[in-house]
Amino acid sequence: MSLPAVPPDLASLLARVALRDRAAFEPLYRATCAHLLGVALRILNDRDRAEEVLQEAFMNVWHNAGSYRPDVAAPMTWLINIVRNKAIDALRSGRAERASTGALDDEALEVPADAALEPQRLLDEGLAKARIDACMAALNPSMRQALALAYYRGMVHTDIAVALGAPVGTAKAWVRRGLDRLKDCLGAVGMGAA
Amino acid sequence: MNYLQPERLDRLAREYVLGTLVGGARRRFERVLAASPAALLAVGAWQRRFDVLAASVPPVQPREATWRGLEQRLFAPAAPAAPVAGKAGVGAWLGRLFGLRSLGGALAGVLLCLVVLRTQPGLVGLEPATGQLPQSYVGLLSDAHGKPAVLASSRRHGRQLTVKLLQPVGVPADRVAQLWALPRDGSAPFPIGVVPAVGTATLALPEASETLFFNVSRLAVTLEVAPASAGAAPGGPFVLIGPCVKLW
Repeated sequence: MSLPAVPPDLASLLARVALRDRAAFEPLYRATCAHLLGVALRILNDRDRAEEVLQEAFMNVWHNAGSYRPDVAAPMTWLINIVRNKAIDALRSGRAERASTGALDDEALEVPADAALEPQRLLDEGLAKARIDACMAALNPSMRQALALAYYRGMVHTDIAVALGAPVGTAKAWVRRGLDRLKDCLGAVGMGAA
Repeated sequence: MNYLQPERLDRLAREYVLGTLVGGARRRFERVLAASPAALLAVGAWQRRFDVLAASVPPVQPREATWRGLEQRLFAPAAPAAPVAGKAGVGAWLGRLFGLRSLGGALAGVLLCLVVLRTQPGLVGLEPATGQLPQSYVGLLSDAHGKPAVLASSRRHGRQLTVKLLQPVGVPADRVAQLWALPRDGSAPFPIGVVPAVGTATLALPEASETLFFNVSRLAVTLEVAPASAGAAPGGPFVLIGPCVKLW
């Protein structure tokens, strides 16, 4: 796959961590923490909470490295998804807390003018890096924006609808079709086939 | 609902990985994922596809405290966990213990509890729920044969020293066993209190442990004709001596 700067020995580090080899844990953390914090920070937009999520994710890694399946995902792919899931949970539990205190603010829904564009820029860069121009063409701007807000910001359909000023049904359709096209165009260039 | 029908599985897997599968549906799918190899493979395929998007996220170097906190949480159960962002600590667990709401209704009761907690936390069984020992100074004094004789401990910010005799100390009838603190820099020992001949005792400290013991590396016992007063020097040889360490 195309993730940059991934040392070749992550798989063996992870295998040693699964055997409770502490000497392998720190190199695994050092090699991956900056990229993973970047992912968590995009979603949470809060440095303290993102670092907390990173810490919790690595506690999971230490305890559950044995469940890592090299045949299903590359080490970095597996790590990214642990971090993303934790960040998404933290984002949503934070919102639930704010809602239950009655002091519901619009912070979570309010999107500054450029906030929708920045995730889309990341998505475009990602596709460009992977040299899959076919995907750039296959996904129209609305689909790219919807996917980018969901992926990089952890937004759900209703958030995406508000951010892009569209009905929820339309936002759902952009996500759905965007995913269909992403799968097709990646499959066409031999990447991420099921 | 049949989650394992391939098309349905693929739709759930992709929205799960993307994050747009929410609430109960997300939790249910996680349970399916734990039990179904087919679901795991479908999720894996989508995770690989999204790698393309993850690749463009700019890296952000975490603070060193995050690694140290992680190490402590995982590997140093006897030491207090380092807060990720300096927010935890005694105040934080007290806050969690009582909650902000209880302060409104029962302030007096809470204050009483706090007084009890400050003086005798063990009495009410309200230790931090971390399974970790509290921050303390601990001294272990041994006799001339190297056999442990006295265990002394005090909470870091406490004003009491608990002394436990691990073996009876032979104290002549006209003498007392005087405990001394020996500073790390070799300056003069200063008296702490009198150790009982057997059993356990709690000595009141003139100042907080942190102030008294911060620069103390050893504790020792001499046999004196009377309890030493502040500024006094040991009147005989050390019959017991041992290290004094910070337990955090």
